[in-house]
Amino acid sequence: MKATKYILCGLAVLALVLGARITSLAQNVTYDDILHSPSHPENWLTYGGNYASQRFSGLTQINKQNVNSLKLKWVYQLRRTGVFESSPIVVDGLMYVTEPPTTVTALDVRTGRPVWRWTADLPRNLLTIGLFPTNRGVAILGDTVYVATIDAHLVALDAKTGVVRWNVEVGDNKKAVAITQAPLAINGKIVVGMGGGEGGLRGYIDCYDAKDGKRLWRLYTIPTTGEPGVETWEGDSYKYGGATTWNTGAYDPELNTLYWGTGNPAPDWNGDARKGDNLYSCSLLAIDADTGKMKWYFQFTPHETHDWDASEPPILFDATINGKKRKIVAQADRNAFYYVLDRATGEFITGQAYAHQTWAKGLDAKGRPIELPNIDPSTQGTLIYPSITGTVNWTSSSYSPLTGLFYVNTREQGAYYYKGHEKMDPYNPNDIGGGGGQKLVNGDAAYTAVRALEATTGNRKWEFKMVGDSWTGTLVTAGGLVFCADSQGNFFALDADNGKPLWNIQLGNALRANPITYAVDGKQYVVGEAGTSVSVFGLP
Amino acid sequence: MRIAKYAVLLLALCCAVPSFAQVPFERLKNSDKEPQNWLTYGGNYGSQRFSGLKEITPKNVASLRVAWAYQLRGGGIMESSPIIVDGILYVTEPPSNVTAIDARTGKPLWHYVPQVPRDFVPVGLFPTNRGVAVLDDKVYLATIDDHLIALDAKSGVVRWNSLIADRMEGYAITQAPLAINGKIVVGVGGGEAGAHGFLSCFDAKDGKLLWKTYTVPLKDSDPGADTWANGSWSNGGGTTWNTGSYDPELNLIYWGTGNPAPDWNGEGRMGDNLFTCSLIALDADTGKMKWYFQFSPHETHDWDSSEPPILFDATVGGKPRKLVALANRNAFYYVLDRATGEFLTGVPFAKQTWAKGLDAKGRPIKEDAAKIEPSVEGTRVYPSLTGAINWTSPCYSPLTGLFYVNAREGYADYIKGEPKMAPGNSVGIVGGGGGGGRMSAGDDTTTNIRALEATTGKLKWEHKMVGDSWTGTLVTAGGLVFSADAAGNFFALNADTGESLWHLLLGSSVRSNPVSYAVDGKQYVVDSAGNTLFVFSLP
Amino acid sequence: MKVIRPWYAAALILALGVLGLASPAAAQLTQAAPPPHAAHPRATPESIAAGKALFEGTCANCHGIDGSGANGPNIRSAAVNLGPEGLYARIRGGAIGSGMPAFTALEDAQVWVIVDYVGSLGHEGAVLATGDAQKGKEIYDANGCAKCHAIAGQGGNLGPELSKIGVLRGTVKLQAILADPGANLPLDTSLQERAAYPAYLVYRVTTKDGKAIEGMRVNEDSFTMQLRDANGRLHSVQKFEVQKIEPLPGKTFMPSYKGKLSDKQIDDLVAYLSGLGGAQ
Repeated sequence: MKATKYILCGLAVLALVLGARITSLAQNVTYDDILHSPSHPENWLTYGGNYASQRFSGLTQINKQNVNSLKLKWVYQLRRTGVFESSPIVVDGLMYVTEPPTTVTALDVRTGRPVWRWTADLPRNLLTIGLFPTNRGVAILGDTVYVATIDAHLVALDAKTGVVRWNVEVGDNKKAVAITQAPLAINGKIVVGMGGGEGGLRGYIDCYDAKDGKRLWRLYTIPTTGEPGVETWEGDSYKYGGATTWNTGAYDPELNTLYWGTGNPAPDWNGDARKGDNLYSCSLLAIDADTGKMKWYFQFTPHETHDWDASEPPILFDATINGKKRKIVAQADRNAFYYVLDRATGEFITGQAYAHQTWAKGLDAKGRPIELPNIDPSTQGTLIYPSITGTVNWTSSSYSPLTGLFYVNTREQGAYYYKGHEKMDPYNPNDIGGGGGQKLVNGDAAYTAVRALEATTGNRKWEFKMVGDSWTGTLVTAGGLVFCADSQGNFFALDADNGKPLWNIQLGNALRANPITYAVDGKQYVVGEAGTSVSVFGLP
Repeated sequence: MRIAKYAVLLLALCCAVPSFAQVPFERLKNSDKEPQNWLTYGGNYGSQRFSGLKEITPKNVASLRVAWAYQLRGGGIMESSPIIVDGILYVTEPPSNVTAIDARTGKPLWHYVPQVPRDFVPVGLFPTNRGVAVLDDKVYLATIDDHLIALDAKSGVVRWNSLIADRMEGYAITQAPLAINGKIVVGVGGGEAGAHGFLSCFDAKDGKLLWKTYTVPLKDSDPGADTWANGSWSNGGGTTWNTGSYDPELNLIYWGTGNPAPDWNGEGRMGDNLFTCSLIALDADTGKMKWYFQFSPHETHDWDSSEPPILFDATVGGKPRKLVALANRNAFYYVLDRATGEFLTGVPFAKQTWAKGLDAKGRPIKEDAAKIEPSVEGTRVYPSLTGAINWTSPCYSPLTGLFYVNAREGYADYIKGEPKMAPGNSVGIVGGGGGGGRMSAGDDTTTNIRALEATTGKLKWEHKMVGDSWTGTLVTAGGLVFSADAAGNFFALNADTGESLWHLLLGSSVRSNPVSYAVDGKQYVVDSAGNTLFVFSLP
Repeated sequence: MKVIRPWYAAALILALGVLGLASPAAAQLTQAAPPPHAAHPRATPESIAAGKALFEGTCANCHGIDGSGANGPNIRSAAVNLGPEGLYARIRGGAIGSGMPAFTALEDAQVWVIVDYVGSLGHEGAVLATGDAQKGKEIYDANGCAKCHAIAGQGGNLGPELSKIGVLRGTVKLQAILADPGANLPLDTSLQERAAYPAYLVYRVTTKDGKAIEGMRVNEDSFTMQLRDANGRLHSVQKFEVQKIEPLPGKTFMPSYKGKLSDKQIDDLVAYLSGLGGAQ
């Protein structure tokens, strides 16, 4: 309800601007703007739509009654092919979208026409071990756009022209560090994680001064000798243990805490030489934004051997549970369980499976999985649900404060897991994750579904089944709609209350990105990215 | 309410299952009687690209929307003009792939991907494909490496595969073949590689070669050999790289021919260089040349005459005439009698600085050689190398009597090359030892949709565009002309006035010819932009 | 040193397939890297001449006889943008998704002379700078050039970035620009599809209510235009909704320094600018 009010005043302001017929575009985003992004739903200022990563939009113009008349308004096609997974940022009439491997393009949202483009100089011997050379988006703060490159640099670009302001190395790509995520801009700081856990490295998350790119802090996700937790790694296995931070996290400004998921321990599919819980792999980390000190951690999958990274974007919301107001962080994990934690303390509140899984009997009182026997990968193959790609992967879930539901695109698929090497061969592109892997259980038995979970309990409210292996995140709006897409190129809208399909269009190729929405000149638009194009929809 | 709607949908589903109907010659001949289909490259044998559909009109076109889209699975440049038969759309993808799509939903039904040698780099042209032909139960494809392949229309299974030419001799094919009565006619490209132009005709049943007619002499005793000094016909040229037209009554095939070789230096090939830069009329049964008309004798600017010839009947000078009209790359619009090849009229349709005009027989009266011939330092001439029009198709509406052409205004500084060819050399000798031109670009090149009175070439209206558009035109009985600009704005104009009625940015340049069809009584308009085929309809 | 090879790309795709990450789109990695090849020999006048001959035969049909573009894009800055190795890779591997084929039949030496020739484009008739670069830097700072131009990230965003200007422009051109910037607008390099258009060309747009905006054209198609005004603000114009759009040829937001700086000062400034980006 609050959202409706916000959007009404937003639209009034915009309508004034429209009268002028030539419209000025300003690009200057203060930290305050991002803090209050829910009251300016016409923009989409952070990767997750707001600091809480809810991917909820307060816009209501497109709603259950009229979504059926949505029509394509403009298209932007990438200038080259590749895997396109970018979640755009929209600020005051400009859309920033990233093209693979690392190109930033600024588009005039009123016309769809490019305004500038910047492409990273990449080394010819680029290492991308276990990941696609792509990019999932930028961050914006002040008059600067921040992009992390596939060869692990953080680059600051002038938001108006794309001129490089500074360029710093986040990691050594020769040592397998590669970045595909959107950075997160907070107060004067740019936070960015890294990927490449299949390449034999030790994960970390960095924070840079937004002005000049000076590194303010770095938090390693795996302890070293002398630090608590190192005993959860056998021998020197911690040195190559992975636990990367490859997807964008969330931020609570009041608690001044960052929430960031960590990836699998390495080698992936053989835990023999890394006995122990392998902290802080497959965990959610709560980090003090000023110092980079870890406040708490919660490990979803101790001693993980199935590549179930916990890199899914955590979603923050407040709710009353058992009569008590709680600050919550929720995560639908790749391991098939949905978790609700207290985000101030990390306390486990509740958790349950949201998809078929055959590896755990359940969670204990502290949220630790009660593992079943014989679930480890083997030389002859061990059938386990979910598959390596997991019940959800990098795509984002969404949460609506209006419905109290958590919307997750869920994969139902099993795999035969095969064991790899005991030791990593670091930075070797022919030894991804130490070898091993999966044979998927394919065919009609495997499917994806948009599921609406009661956010405080994880109880399923409804589901919408799709044919094929969808890699699209969800978007939920105050108009009562959930947007998602299937792997066959159908972009669609569902009723956020009951999952009924209300609209769809065939875009000709799979959508591998998170949809977003914005408004300009008083009109709401929804963005879907199919294949190698950005498609923008609005009412007639 | 909703249940009722679903029931209707279900019914529609039952009726609209793709049927893979037979397409006998009779249907192709009478294609104007079934405007819901688009049966040949040019829409009908007259290459008019006129659609008889009229659901979409100037009144309602503003509410046009994308119904579905299909994206290419590979990269490359998409220039394909789809064929639509009873709810199935056949489109080609670069370099030589065919995809059959359910025209109502956009879902692919089958793909055919021929084996094309990976190291083959065609000289002077993009490895792409502009479409297929259909006849009876087969779909016909000409591949970039010079095969003619017959595919089962239902499944994409190969029925036969014949060799048209040898790619090692510089031949490459991007055009859609033309299906006539039991025969498949197909030309060749590769004039910049020294390929010798010819048109060939194959038996539609089994792929046997029925006839093959060369457009450039092969020996001194061949007709036209005396128009090539010192046996310079051996350099080749006169390729037949774009799809032609057919008059079933006269049983004549009309096909344009490309430039002589080498391109930008005519010193070693003095003479008119027949039958390059000409329109040739061939007997469809024998391949014998009935007549020819040469637009640019002794051509030195790469102005192929490969533009699709458009056939129509009209009264000229009080006399009903069977006409063929062609907007030529050399910037002149020509109207000929298609039974005899007699020149009736010709006027420039875009800026040109190379001819003072045409004489009574339609032969250009050229400006002084010093003003127009390519030189070492560059000679500025309008139009540019790519011409006032290139491979994209104009269209003609029998309702308005107008000829709609996307006309390019631009110049090039033409630079002379070596007067030598190294036939078949795919590296280093494009157009004969280099040469070419610095093209006008940016703001100095514009494209314009121009409506010409078809019998006179008189400009009726024009729609100016920004940039170098490579999109053909489509005109409909609803009174609309569709085309697109270089940025990828697909638009509709009023066919009578040129008024801009609707546009949509498709995000990448549109390099193809739009077409229209209908399924279940609903009209669709199709064009591809970048790597995506977009299909539009009313809500 | 590890070199990415085609078989590696294939192995990567296979491996990703094992990980369940592969999709049809995954089979199209952006560009296949070339196989091992001989190192780039030093460019010589002979190699440039040999490259010119090959270029005119092989490349000019699409890229224009002087690389300024025809059917294909303007590539006169390709050697700066891609580097010699990158340019080699582009010729060998093509650019998937464009019309640029992979020239696999050329020999190593042939590719390298083409690279040499393309690298020479835009530098014909180069004259060495004679001024004092150190003094030139002082002049640059004193005249507020940094208000509009950025070097190595520092400076404004209204005019072109100058970080590589010494590689992109010869001294003669730099002199001409400083004297008469409006007559020497550079081609647009920020969007490759605009490479044939002058950047910074000033337009005046008059709305139906008579309000006028002057700005540099950023992009344009048949229906819309994007402008950047003197304050750096972007304006999105629907052409059919305004009264008038007119170019103001010769006008720029950059002042002429002819008469404002002495010839000696201009020489110094040119010397400074010529040194920018030269390290590579």
